[in-house]
Amino acid sequence: MAHDRKPGEKVVFVGDSRVRLKTERLKQPDYSAYPGKSEAFIPNFLLKEWMVGVVVLVGILALVMSEPAPLGYPADPTNTAFIPMPDWYFLFLYQFLKYPYTSDHYVVFGTVLVPGLAFLGLMLVPFLDLSPERRFYRRPVTSALMIVTLLAMGYLTYTSWHHYKEELKEKNIIPEDVKREEELRAAKGAGKAAPSPSAGAAKKVAMVAPDDPGAAVFKKATCVACHGGELKGMPSSGIPALLGIGDTLSKDDILGIIKNGKGNMPAQYKDNIGKGLTDADIDKLANWLSMQKSK
Amino acid sequence: MFKSMYNWIDERLDITPMWRDVADHEVPEHVNPAHHFSAFVYCFGGLTFFITVIQILSGMFLTMYYTPDIINAYASVDYLSHKVAFGVIVRGMHHWGASLVIVMMFLHTLRVFFTGSYKAPREMNWVVGMMIFGVMLGLGFTGYLLPWDNKAYFATQVGIKIAASVPFIGDYIKTLLQGGEVVGAVTLTRFFAIHVFFLPAVLLALLAGHFFMIRKQGISGPL
Amino acid sequence: MSDHNKQAGQHGEKPVKREMSRRQFLSYTLGGAGGFMAAGIIIPMLRFAIDPVLEPKAKADWIKVVEEAQIGTEPKAFQFKMHQVDGWYESDVELTAWIAKDSKGQVFALNPTCKHLGCTVSFDAPSHEYHCPCHGAKYTADGKNLVVAPLPLDEYSVKVEQGFVYVGQLHPNSRVK
Repeated sequence: MAHDRKPGEKVVFVGDSRVRLKTERLKQPDYSAYPGKSEAFIPNFLLKEWMVGVVVLVGILALVMSEPAPLGYPADPTNTAFIPMPDWYFLFLYQFLKYPYTSDHYVVFGTVLVPGLAFLGLMLVPFLDLSPERRFYRRPVTSALMIVTLLAMGYLTYTSWHHYKEELKEKNIIPEDVKREEELRAAKGAGKAAPSPSAGAAKKVAMVAPDDPGAAVFKKATCVACHGGELKGMPSSGIPALLGIGDTLSKDDILGIIKNGKGNMPAQYKDNIGKGLTDADIDKLANWLSMQKSK
Repeated sequence: MFKSMYNWIDERLDITPMWRDVADHEVPEHVNPAHHFSAFVYCFGGLTFFITVIQILSGMFLTMYYTPDIINAYASVDYLSHKVAFGVIVRGMHHWGASLVIVMMFLHTLRVFFTGSYKAPREMNWVVGMMIFGVMLGLGFTGYLLPWDNKAYFATQVGIKIAASVPFIGDYIKTLLQGGEVVGAVTLTRFFAIHVFFLPAVLLALLAGHFFMIRKQGISGPL
Repeated sequence: MSDHNKQAGQHGEKPVKREMSRRQFLSYTLGGAGGFMAAGIIIPMLRFAIDPVLEPKAKADWIKVVEEAQIGTEPKAFQFKMHQVDGWYESDVELTAWIAKDSKGQVFALNPTCKHLGCTVSFDAPSHEYHCPCHGAKYTADGKNLVVAPLPLDEYSVKVEQGFVYVGQLHPNSRVK
């Protein structure tokens, strides 16, 4: 530092160190070419920005308080009824992958090539649009490309969301976060503690009497296909767990459900007889299930 | 008291010019919403930063309860949003803030685009801005997995599959992101590390560059 | 440095041995030491971060799924438990295979992970096809890709022993071309 001193320059060192007392400041940008009144950043201009900030913050807080952040059920890799949706700002990319030249053998076009080129083009726009003209209507090509892209993104986002809504309706699925929220509200209304569907809570209910002859029947019967070998069911698809089922249903109730079905579950009796089970087997099965109590 | 403390420090470190550089620079009329209502379009950059600050703060506080572990992640998010006082607000700020930051940044990008403010000599600042855009999208993607609910899990599967469709190196990218052969425990800790340490560090560096360049070059003139 | 020496040699002049200046020496040393510090810090971390890529892939064991008698010509979902090591987290995960018998009575099992973008497909009995909820990919009962997906569904190796169906390693579909 001491080397590049000009002969006449006055240098003040702080103490005996070689740190030069800084007197120069970053150059002030010169706005004298622009018409009108400029003002200092702090406090004059910042105050105006902060007013805008206050309005926005009030908006954010209102949104936060009226709409709690969604939370569904714990991730379950075996859940097949779940319709995956990315965050809204990725929806247009997600929808883009449904078209003939962006899927199938051309999936690379949709996932890498087109979005990559678009992003690269946007990033390099100062080096592509070299005219000194700044007004958007005087550089029609650049502006038109952007407007077309924006319209396409808007269309794709809308279509994606529309498909999702239709599919929900068609398959009669309620989004998990909505279902969960209703559950919480119901629990609150009943004055109970908020139910927690976390894995830790589910594990507490264990299978009762896994060596019972009924358990062997269960593995042969149609039940196992949906409710699973561990009786866990698929709660996220609306298939209840059978662990702890004995708390709420008696043996006769269970026999009734096997014979007549319940909710989305069709009657299972005939299918099981067709599989070679006897009435006695089904009786053992129902007996075993009614033994599934949580305590 | 405060003044004498300031003077004591200033004598030794000469801090006055540092904040003077920030405070004193002039702001021209055409970006001032007090003079022209249409100048509100120039606020989106500042608002993006404002929400980014909210995101950083709320994120820091969320990690006081959050556990990046596949057994406990969901339970901890559930706990912090339903059992902890104001939890629903703090998580709500982080959740909705993530969307709003994208909205604000998008509007800011469009403002810069349609006013042609990216043109010489501000090309570099545009490129840095686009990098910030990319980092923000990365933060959104990695943050989506953290609550470990079904939505998080399946959206991430799709996202990773998209990354895996890159020719030649796709499978390596996939394993690298997943940290193994499935989206599982290692994926969650990886995404947590990326979301909480790696990307924010990059973001802060890029933001510093962005602001420094704005200060150095001044704001683009009126149309 | 070395460039200068070489050039001088090529011109047939007597190679001049050029002394390295003090400043040059210092900047090379500085660069070298800085590079060493950066490498020494970063290399272990990089190797640490990319370890999963270099880890050898585990081979799947045979897992008993279901009685052969339960398998029909229409694919049905069967869940089975696989011991999965996911980092430090070892668990028995429930996986799903769609198992059916083909026209020759041969049992085959398909993995329901869509080959488009990894969603989970399910068998739609009325149309006798697998449908994907994400981007509408469709597959035949054999797993052949009809629309959207670039590849047929992956297949589990299957063996039948003493009336039980076992599934093993996952591999690309061998049933369709």
